[in-house]
Amino acid sequence: MAAVQDGGSEPEGEKEPQPELPSDGSSAPAATPASKPEEQQQQQQQTLLAVLQFLKRNKLIESVDALRREAGLADEPDEAPGSEAGGGVGGAAAGSADSADASALLSRVAGAAQSGAASAPCNISFSSIVLFIVLSVGGEDQPDVSVVLSAYSQQGDPSLYQVYYSGLKKFIESVLDCHRAELSQLFYPLFVHMYLELVYNNHESEAKAFFEKFSGDQECYYQDDLRVLSGLTKKEHMKGNETLLDFRTSKFVLRISRDSYQLLKRHLQERQNNQIWNIIQEHLYIDIFDGMPRSKSQIDSMSGSLAGEARREANKAKVFYGLLKEPEIEVPLDDEDEEAENEEGKPKKKKPKKDSMGSKSKKQDPNAPQQNRIPLPELKDSDKLDKIMYMKEATKRIRLGPETLPSICFYTFLNVYQGLTAVDFTDDSSLIAGGFADSTVRVWSVTPKKLRKVKSAADLSLIDKESDDVLERIMDEKTASESKILYGHSGPVYGVSFSPDRNYLLSSSEDGTVRLWSLQTFTCLVAYKGHNYPVWDTQFSPYGYYFVSGGHDRVARLWATDHYQPLRMFAGHLGDITCTRFHPNSNYVATGSADRTIRLWDVLNGHCVRVFTGHKGPIHSLAFSPNGKYLASGSTDGRVLLWDLGHGLMIGELKGHTDTVYALKFSRDGEILASGSMDNTVRLWDAFKAFDDVETDDFTAATGHIHLPDNSQELLLGTYLTKATPVIHLHFTRRNLLLAAGSYNSQ
Amino acid sequence: MRPARPDVTSSAGLVGGEKGTTVKMASPKTLPKDAQVMIQILKDMGITEYEPRVINQMLEFTYRYVTTIIEDAKIYATHAKKSSVDADDIRLAIQCRMDQSFTSPPPRDFLLEVARQKNQTPLPLIKPYAGPRLPPDRYCLTAPNYRLKSLQKKVSSSAGRITVPRLSVGAVSSRPSTPTLGTPAVQTMGSKVGTPVSLTGQRFTVQIPSSQAPSVKTATPSTPGAVQNVLINPSLIGSKNILITTNMVSQNSSSDSGSLKRKHEDDDDYDAL
Repeated sequence: MAAVQDGGSEPEGEKEPQPELPSDGSSAPAATPASKPEEQQQQQQQTLLAVLQFLKRNKLIESVDALRREAGLADEPDEAPGSEAGGGVGGAAAGSADSADASALLSRVAGAAQSGAASAPCNISFSSIVLFIVLSVGGEDQPDVSVVLSAYSQQGDPSLYQVYYSGLKKFIESVLDCHRAELSQLFYPLFVHMYLELVYNNHESEAKAFFEKFSGDQECYYQDDLRVLSGLTKKEHMKGNETLLDFRTSKFVLRISRDSYQLLKRHLQERQNNQIWNIIQEHLYIDIFDGMPRSKSQIDSMSGSLAGEARREANKAKVFYGLLKEPEIEVPLDDEDEEAENEEGKPKKKKPKKDSMGSKSKKQDPNAPQQNRIPLPELKDSDKLDKIMYMKEATKRIRLGPETLPSICFYTFLNVYQGLTAVDFTDDSSLIAGGFADSTVRVWSVTPKKLRKVKSAADLSLIDKESDDVLERIMDEKTASESKILYGHSGPVYGVSFSPDRNYLLSSSEDGTVRLWSLQTFTCLVAYKGHNYPVWDTQFSPYGYYFVSGGHDRVARLWATDHYQPLRMFAGHLGDITCTRFHPNSNYVATGSADRTIRLWDVLNGHCVRVFTGHKGPIHSLAFSPNGKYLASGSTDGRVLLWDLGHGLMIGELKGHTDTVYALKFSRDGEILASGSMDNTVRLWDAFKAFDDVETDDFTAATGHIHLPDNSQELLLGTYLTKATPVIHLHFTRRNLLLAAGSYNSQ
Repeated sequence: MRPARPDVTSSAGLVGGEKGTTVKMASPKTLPKDAQVMIQILKDMGITEYEPRVINQMLEFTYRYVTTIIEDAKIYATHAKKSSVDADDIRLAIQCRMDQSFTSPPPRDFLLEVARQKNQTPLPLIKPYAGPRLPPDRYCLTAPNYRLKSLQKKVSSSAGRITVPRLSVGAVSSRPSTPTLGTPAVQTMGSKVGTPVSLTGQRFTVQIPSSQAPSVKTATPSTPGAVQNVLINPSLIGSKNILITTNMVSQNSSSDSGSLKRKHEDDDDYDAL
């Protein structure tokens, strides 16, 4: 795509960007069985001939020669281009009755090449063909983005679009009930693509009429998208809209049972005017499964995302969701420690204490990644001390459950006037950081201990380095204060994250940078530049050193603190990435996006291993369960969805909030899920029960269908209202006290 | 809470998801026509709750955008030696403005390609026991962004000037461009690589170990900063202290008496080091 846009200046842009799911071998949208190699050859041959015809017609002789040399064609048979060839290429060309129209032909090939319909082996040569064409045409009537959009060239008579659509509607209303729900999935993507086609080809009035007539039929959860579409009436409007372009180039995925699909195919191929069939082949990907057709409620729970549902292959990769083994640390036992932990309470005897959640066996958990799968920083002495503190606190932890609910301590930010945009707590709950719309970051101390800066170099040289309390002496008492303000960003700060060792603070902002601040000197150390657009969220890895950031450019980046460029780029979302979270074992990153999907990425190789659809609005909060198996997500539709990472399925839906869920947190042992929302409430849900029901079910993993029980009411343990404070952040202390934060909204 | 562009989701950034005040405006009859149009646009885009100032902000943006485009188009028309501005000029003006201000993120397949290449390299191994893990110094903001003048300085003749050589520290920092609290960051942004950026107010050394930095506050208000520096070092406390402060004060008060002072300050600027 880069090559095409820049007029072919970069040779490496030539390579057809692999579709995100490389197992696209049978990606022919009609879901025919994988084409045999001979068929592929045939398609390739015909495309080549088509291109040659076009070039000759335009009298681009040199290009013709060059291409012929490149393709190794000895002579040029005089064949009509673009005959029906079954795959995406042919399918696109089939509709062009006017093959003499050079631009239509170009767009066919270009569109086909870019839509990635051709199977993998053909890709390289197709793209080089495209490159040739672009170079030869010289971009006279093909400005960059138009090539992308050109797959919307005329499919048929514009005034008949309404007829086609109504015809399909009538057909679907006449089928059996069991099939109707599934086939109704077609309406929305077809509607959008047909509308965009009309707009692209400058049939403004027909487009408006089409829109007015059929937009009301669509599902209610697509209303936001439809509203955006309604403002898009001219071709020029389409060019600047990234989300729309992505929608066009990525295929909308539908999951339909085989029976329903046969019905549909038979109906559409019967008719003379099979324009809809062409559109389906070109823009939709129908994932066929064998089994019972799904019911409306099942479909509704999984749909809603910008690109349809997730293909089955997208969720098939193995995910190592287990936790890494905690290192064995020798804990010096004090007399005051509980003897319940071990029988010998003697201080001299050292006995390694295991993490309360760690596995007791020495064997490797098959679901856990290898210790060295990704490089992780080694444990320093200070980290070991932290771990000891952690374990001590863990022994005093309250066991939560439906009978013992946590107490909630709410930290309200006053006088902020809606300027509070991000909050984070340290793991030991000693510091709070707030990111504000005035581009400052403020750090407060939660404990009575004040915040101090390290002394200047002159003073440091004066202190006694051998003394025991040297760590206290390096702090400058004169700078002690309750809070510190960090200046540096030039735009509102949308994400803050403390490092696990409490030395660093990250903040991400609308100015496109992620800044690393030192919490010893309270100054900015590094500004990581890479996103050139607002960065909506950032988070440190649970082991430190790595951090992830995601923003408006639809890419999440994995950084290490000592590299000024990102280590990994997670590209694939269609909309802004609004939430990024690390898995507890630091091997995976979950990203929630404005395209209403959640993706799980593997840190090791950058692959997307899970795609979860089902939310009806942009996702604003994610939380991994402490045992690493489950993910909870909250979005603007007020629902909290629960996902099983191992199987790649939705296993629960928690309804109750009436506004965006901005905060989600599992308690320390995973018994309770707390959710905080813009509707000024904190709700507690019984996580054990929600996941328990799942264990006993027999997963229909083959088809991926779930019957979600409507048990939100039983799982809801409590609703706690604030007066007028939306809840922005939740945090369970090490002893399972729930802390919440938000800014008082006086209106 | 997090603004999104209006063409991505339907909630305009300015109004966000917050519950703002409902529109309490004058009756539509008394509103200017532009404002009525804007209200209609907001309604069509599905935005129902917004503060009344949003209309003004949107109108201001519209006005600014349209005048910018038309001015640009006028320039292009005169450049092409046309007598009047026509649609082509406007189109060109819009195009140029789009490429400059309203850029959009790269397209998806480009991102996929770049990501594929980047993700191929294995994750780098982590060196053990490396201290604070930061990028090379040129990519950090941990270098000082000022130089101290040498201590051997000729005594100036003006009565109001500082006579103590050591107070050249003060002279350095009393340059007219008094940075505000935000400036070190601005300097950071402007000075890419090589130009050191402020860290600590250490009197004697220039290179600062990266681990320490006082807050911005000490470095910036230059005059109190100088005083602080002086105060820290006990050897300067004493009679000179008083002299220093009054000089500072007098400098501040007579800052607009100007040109003479400025010239001196220019002279004082930056010894050749």
